Amino acid sequence: MTSNGTRWVLLGAGALTAVGVGRTVARRRRRHQPERQDGWYVVRRGITVDRPVDEVIGFWTDRERLDRALAEWATLEQLADNRWRCVARDPAGGGTEWCAEIQVAGPGRLTWRVTDGPAQHGTVELVPAPQDRGTEIRAELRYRSGRLRRAFGLAAGDEPDLGLRDTLRRVKSLIEAGQVIDTRRDPSGRSPAQEAATDRVREKLTTGGRA
Amino acid sequence: MRALCWEGVGKLAVRDVPEPRIRAEGDIIVKVRASSVCGSDLHLINGYLPAMREGDVLGHEFMGEVVETGPGVRRLKVGDRVVVGSVVACGGCWYCRTEQYSLCDNSNPQPVFTEKLWGHSPAGILGYSHAAGGYSGSHAEYVRVPFGDVGAFPVPDGVPDDSVVFASDAMPTGWMAADFCGLTGGEVVAVWGGGGVGQMAARAAQLLGAGRVIVIDRLPERLAPAADRLGVETVNYADTDVLEALREMTAGRGPDACIEAVGMESHDVGPAYAYDKAKQTARLQSDRPTSVRQAIMACRKGGTVSIVGVYGGLVDKFPLGAAMNKALVLRMGQMHAQRYIPMLLDRLAAGEIDPGYLATHPLSLEQGVRGYEVFEKKQEGCLRSVLHPA
Ligand SMILES: NC(=O)c1ccc[n+]([C@@H]2O[C@H](COP(=O)([O-])OP(=O)(O)OC[C@H]3O[C@@H](n4cnc5c(N)ncnc54)[C@H](O)[C@@H]3O)[C@@H](O)[C@H]2O)c1
Ligand SMILES: [Zn+2]
Ligand SMILES: [Zn+2]
Repeated sequence: MTSNGTRWVLLGAGALTAVGVGRTVARRRRRHQPERQDGWYVVRRGITVDRPVDEVIGFWTDRERLDRALAEWATLEQLADNRWRCVARDPAGGGTEWCAEIQVAGPGRLTWRVTDGPAQHGTVELVPAPQDRGTEIRAELRYRSGRLRRAFGLAAGDEPDLGLRDTLRRVKSLIEAGQVIDTRRDPSGRSPAQEAATDRVREKLTTGGRA
Repeated sequence: MRALCWEGVGKLAVRDVPEPRIRAEGDIIVKVRASSVCGSDLHLINGYLPAMREGDVLGHEFMGEVVETGPGVRRLKVGDRVVVGSVVACGGCWYCRTEQYSLCDNSNPQPVFTEKLWGHSPAGILGYSHAAGGYSGSHAEYVRVPFGDVGAFPVPDGVPDDSVVFASDAMPTGWMAADFCGLTGGEVVAVWGGGGVGQMAARAAQLLGAGRVIVIDRLPERLAPAADRLGVETVNYADTDVLEALREMTAGRGPDACIEAVGMESHDVGPAYAYDKAKQTARLQSDRPTSVRQAIMACRKGGTVSIVGVYGGLVDKFPLGAAMNKALVLRMGQMHAQRYIPMLLDRLAAGEIDPGYLATHPLSLEQGVRGYEVFEKKQEGCLRSVLHPA
């Protein structure tokens, strides 16, 4: 469909939809406020993937894997050689959609900006990790807590941060292990009510990460 | 299907639960033939590793038959008789690539608890609470094993189920404990704990070249098989001053390597034990580290202390000064099952290790509650109860 170099914009789309993922946990989590710069909240997160940069980019060229990673949340439409339009849906449901433009800004670097939806822009960079440790995926998310965000039901906390970490962990697992492990619905002796309570605990233990 | 479930601190019951299904490409479903109790389960049952939920299926040391494979499974096929490592490992991360399977980055889908508690999340473990991924365990008729190609190993014909089951956990744990000691031949190795893990650590130390192995416990019915089956020396801490005895046995040097295979519910005689137990009960310390303290004090200068007994949180009165000033090497960790199992299966087949004697109590799954009772209370000479669902 297109070159390796541009297909990995999907990673950007993943990071972008993190805002929506964040919403699902917004009501349950209260964290410290994220750093602020020039009126933007800034969140930076990184994860190390045990594959060389080329393979991390190459991973996104596999349509099937791609769909598994993102299909539920985002669709992509190519505008130009290095520009994409991304329509992201809120994974929490409710039909909320927003549009963003994703641009490959250089080797191993992409940026995006939401054009219709909550004020947000960000970057994803791929940096070779030292000592043959693969690739550092470094993501930066900037968002405002303005009228639009409130309209989208997003609180001013750092829930996009949780979503971003979650996304990065999923991306890492997909690339390294080919799947994201899920133990919900493993057999148990629980009643449906107990199972529902346990699922809530599982979600807390799944989302976010290190304090 | 039937399964042994945790019902609250100190409470177990066999219940009806749904059967597991293939959920991901790499999954396999194993029909369990033998599933052993392990000292780690006691920490879970008693609430010292506090992330169990009512209804969780216990069990992580097991073997059985592959009855279903996911579309991504290549190495295994339906009908294979396999032993499964307790630790879940993806096979594709840096830790797996460097054979540090119990540190796998991708096998704990619920990493938040341990990330907060320990800074990072280690691998998931089957049947080992929601801190270790919330996987359903093996004390059941069937169990789902993720990354089957990485975690399950076909076993040699002729090795009985109740022997090969220990290649799942007790053997690799014992082997890793001895491996940590960096033996080059002729060393004196002391092992705290004569349970399944300690027994296997003692045997591994012998095979890796130790000159003398000394097993420490208070239960004669555990010290006796160690002496008879393995030919090790023994010290009963109930009637002997352990530090004095070890110093004596090594003409003042102390053991070159000390393996701790007891864990956080370590027992002791004397006032320090009452102090630890009281603090642990009041949750002022999460773990009782009696035997670790002793191992550090006993170890020769510059020696190695290898800890495979499980600890979960904070300990009190840790003799850091002794460890520092004696320039000790401390090694520890959950075992890297997948790294050792193939080699251990070879040794099993060759008769170099014969762990069958650990299965003192072969029981049906329905007798699981009793199996844990005799194991926990160390009754009837129980080393390990092995449950047979079929
Ligand atoms: N690192 C791993 O991957 C791993 C794997 C399996 C088990 N384990 C851990 O290994 C430990 C032992 O497991 P097990 O199945 O053999 O348990 P077990 O309960 O059968 O054996 C423990 C033994 O320690 C003895 N003991 C208690 N206090 C002692 C003391 N102060 N000094 C000497 N001995 C003492 C007990 O009498 C008992 O015989 C547990 O903590 C378990 O969680 C670790
Ligand atoms: Zn165990
Ligand atoms: Zn791994």
